[in-house]
Amino acid sequence: MAKKVAAIIKLQIPAGKATPAPPVGPALGQHGVNIMGFVKQYNEVTAAQAGLIIPVEITVYEDRSFTFVTKTPPAAVLLKKALGIETASGEPNKKKVGKVPLSKVREIAELKMPDLNAASVEAAMRMVEGTARSMGIEIVEG
Amino acid sequence: MTIWLEISVQVPHEGIEMVSYIFDELGAGGVVIEDPALISRGIEADIWDHYEFPPEVLNRTLPIVKAYLPEGPELEDKLVRLQERLSGLPLESIPSFETNPVVEEDWATAWMAYYKPVEIGSRLAVKPSWEEYTPRDNRIVLELDPGMAFGCGNHPTTTMCMEFLEGIIKGGELVADVGTGTGILAITSAKLGADRVLAVDLDSVAVKVAKENVQLNQVADRVTVLEGNLLDRATETVDIVIANIIASVIIVLAPDVLRILKPGGYLIASGIIRFRAEEVKEKLEQTGFRIVEKKEDGEWVSYLSVLEG
Repeated sequence: MAKKVAAIIKLQIPAGKATPAPPVGPALGQHGVNIMGFVKQYNEVTAAQAGLIIPVEITVYEDRSFTFVTKTPPAAVLLKKALGIETASGEPNKKKVGKVPLSKVREIAELKMPDLNAASVEAAMRMVEGTARSMGIEIVEG
Repeated sequence: MTIWLEISVQVPHEGIEMVSYIFDELGAGGVVIEDPALISRGIEADIWDHYEFPPEVLNRTLPIVKAYLPEGPELEDKLVRLQERLSGLPLESIPSFETNPVVEEDWATAWMAYYKPVEIGSRLAVKPSWEEYTPRDNRIVLELDPGMAFGCGNHPTTTMCMEFLEGIIKGGELVADVGTGTGILAITSAKLGADRVLAVDLDSVAVKVAKENVQLNQVADRVTVLEGNLLDRATETVDIVIANIIASVIIVLAPDVLRILKPGGYLIASGIIRFRAEEVKEKLEQTGFRIVEKKEDGEWVSYLSVLEG
């Protein structure tokens, strides 16, 4: 059936552990979406990735039905994984937590390219570099 | 009752990931990203049949990253840290943020308020399972719960099909429902007296939902739900074919319907956007159908046609 798209909602939430609490509840509730229906489906689809934050794009239709697609983990999560660190720097300008080679930045940018809405790999790399710097991670040649 | 503070940060595109990460560190447990690029990308790629976004959403230029933090002794400190971290971001200008208190409600059930029993045509009604409803004038009641594939009696393309079915099912018919979705039209057919209904859908989620709804409405003895396309699945000719899909699919499907519809049988074609209605009508007539009735509701058109011969 042809249905009119009424809203596009993007969430970044913990895989396998979504609940109706914020941000899910208020974000979907205002569109009349069956929140438990979403939570159950999302948790089923992302169960294997538990421990990561998994972005999800939800398309809500005029009749309040919905579909969703999950995306690649955020750049910050991939950077932490690449460096093997649990937490990043709370004071990124003063305290550095590690270094990441430019080749790794490119790899992450290429992986995330379809989800970043970036015009080019270079633009995607700039986003990843910016995220790295805001986490206290230095970029080095290599 | 918990009060939450909704914090909205306006940020250029390249800063979305950075701001999301700051919220993650502040313990927000997730963020909402309102990104105009998602909408413009969908429009440019022409992936939606139809869309309608509020002007404030369409006219937005900068993305917004939203997070929710519970009110409490730590909140003030977290807001100070948020401001500090935003100031230190490698962006051309420091992103600004707004806050808005949100009172906790029962989000798990609040959405249910949107769904009420709906009476359709002169003999049918659809209700969600949690609503009490006493049918007037012996209406036939379908029970459907909203979910991923909703299609519950509140969309004109569906209700027009139900009204057609009300008029043509006399009892004992064989029916094929193409693109069944929730199964609502297959269930309607069975409840109105069809002998057997074959419901097909290409989408496995829809097939699962339709099967559940068939069980819920106790018509499993007469409705068979299968994944796949109509021609692969139909093994006998039928009296009625229902196609509540979209204009382009109906145009492609029409010649195939000849192979499974008995001469003199009905085709219900729905989900047709008004500006393509004439094109669909021409195709149906060329294929050998005679239009018996046209229904219109808002921007949607449905045809009831008979296979001549």
